[in-house]
Amino acid sequence: MVLRKSLIVAKADLRMAMKVKMVKYSLVIMSLMAPIMAIGLVLLIALTAPAILVTTIPMLDSLFAPMIGIMAIIPATMISANALVGEREQNTLEPLLCTPLTNRELLIGKVLSSFIPTIILLLGSVLITEIATIIIFASVGANPVLFPGTASLYLLLVAGPILIVAIVSVMILISGKVKRVYEAYQSSGAIVIVFLIPMLLPMMSTSDLGNVNVNLVWLSNTITLLIASVLAIITSALAISRFNRDRMVSM
Amino acid sequence: MGPNGAGKSTTIRLLCTLLTPSEGTASVGGFDIVESPVSVREIIGVMPEESNHTLYPTMSTYENLEYFGKLYEIPEAEIPERIEELLNFMGLWERKDDPAGELSTGNRQRLALCRALLHRPKVLLLDEPTSALDPIASKKVRELILSLAEKYKQTFFINSHNLAEVQRICDRIAIIDKGRILLSGKTEELRSKLQASQNFTIRVYNDLEKALSIAKSMEFVTSAEKEVDSLQVTIEDPIGNNSTLMQSLLSQGVRIIEFAEEAATLEDLYLDVIGGVA
Repeated sequence: MVLRKSLIVAKADLRMAMKVKMVKYSLVIMSLMAPIMAIGLVLLIALTAPAILVTTIPMLDSLFAPMIGIMAIIPATMISANALVGEREQNTLEPLLCTPLTNRELLIGKVLSSFIPTIILLLGSVLITEIATIIIFASVGANPVLFPGTASLYLLLVAGPILIVAIVSVMILISGKVKRVYEAYQSSGAIVIVFLIPMLLPMMSTSDLGNVNVNLVWLSNTITLLIASVLAIITSALAISRFNRDRMVSM
Repeated sequence: MGPNGAGKSTTIRLLCTLLTPSEGTASVGGFDIVESPVSVREIIGVMPEESNHTLYPTMSTYENLEYFGKLYEIPEAEIPERIEELLNFMGLWERKDDPAGELSTGNRQRLALCRALLHRPKVLLLDEPTSALDPIASKKVRELILSLAEKYKQTFFINSHNLAEVQRICDRIAIIDKGRILLSGKTEELRSKLQASQNFTIRVYNDLEKALSIAKSMEFVTSAEKEVDSLQVTIEDPIGNNSTLMQSLLSQGVRIIEFAEEAATLEDLYLDVIGGVA
């Protein structure tokens, strides 16, 4: 029952956010950019130097996988900014708060409105890149490899969703401090940069020669996962404790 | 009713559980607003202040209502029927596919009222419900409120500056200022209470100046003013004194055409109460 009402809120929020051109186009651009770059690179190598394709792609994996994650996660800030701050800016928050929605249902609804599309974007980006890579490898007669590879999939599919929770939680906290959507964008932009650092850690495992120590990739991905988990726990706990009607209405 | 800043909108925001009271208690339909806020919200319909600005502008007229119908858990099959009924009644059915942001102010106000009525709440909290409506639409809303109150036994709690409107549709009124109730009671009782204070119109056939002078000389006449063809006088204890004034005028040669009690309005009462504390 709780989830049903939350999904109604999430669906409406997403529909509203998608009617904002900036959000809609950003979502499309962000979701396409990383797979296009990754697939483009694979295609370029396949066309120009197919002999080194099988050895080069795994080396690039630890660089490109975080980029896919970053591009897929950024739209979460835009959707949640519209769902939280935008609702108050448009004066639609009061009637919504007068419905029998509980704080928990409303909070879950607002989180889902960002979480569901962002997860779909993330999974879609990964899936498209994997399929395209396999097709390119097959077309040049090479043995297919996963790109993103196993360690990167672990990073993207486990740490990714956790980071999305952290980002949306931070947006909930920010929404209690700012009055306008563009202020939320600006504030969240700064915070996203902080959140991107753990996503970039795997890049540090690449040596000067471009070789990648697979063990270091796994280790840095695990560290990233731990940092993401700690951030998510802290920010979501703060968001839950500070999400209340008085605060939202009195802004 | 109350002047700007009296706390009218704050009262509604407290009753619909948007705000938590710093002190005191309140209940709606038997539910305490602090202890059972969700139960309160289940039985109320709210039309907030400047409600024409509280609609989702990019959603259509229909979608605005559909969204709230789902949130109020109206059975899915009933939602289209109720929306059609309300939109037809408000004359908005033809605009059902238009984005709410493209409607006129009056139409948005009507749509906001539809939204408040959609789930047939027991109690409706309306903040200035006709403030943006033209006279015809205002009349329609007043008729709607009266018919709904009778048909569904709904209680309407209305904030309004429109004293004539309050007088027509409200059973009880309260005048508040600075967060405190200055006067409350049944509309009829309050109006009859005012009639004891008593304004009279005196039209005379000749010598209005002389009539004014006589009226002012009476101790029980608290005010007397000359208008174009009549006097406006206020008489203390009119039941005992108006005949004395009439006799004085007649005995001094003033020929009276009309000696009539002015119908008391809530405006008089409102101004009297608010003026008394200003």
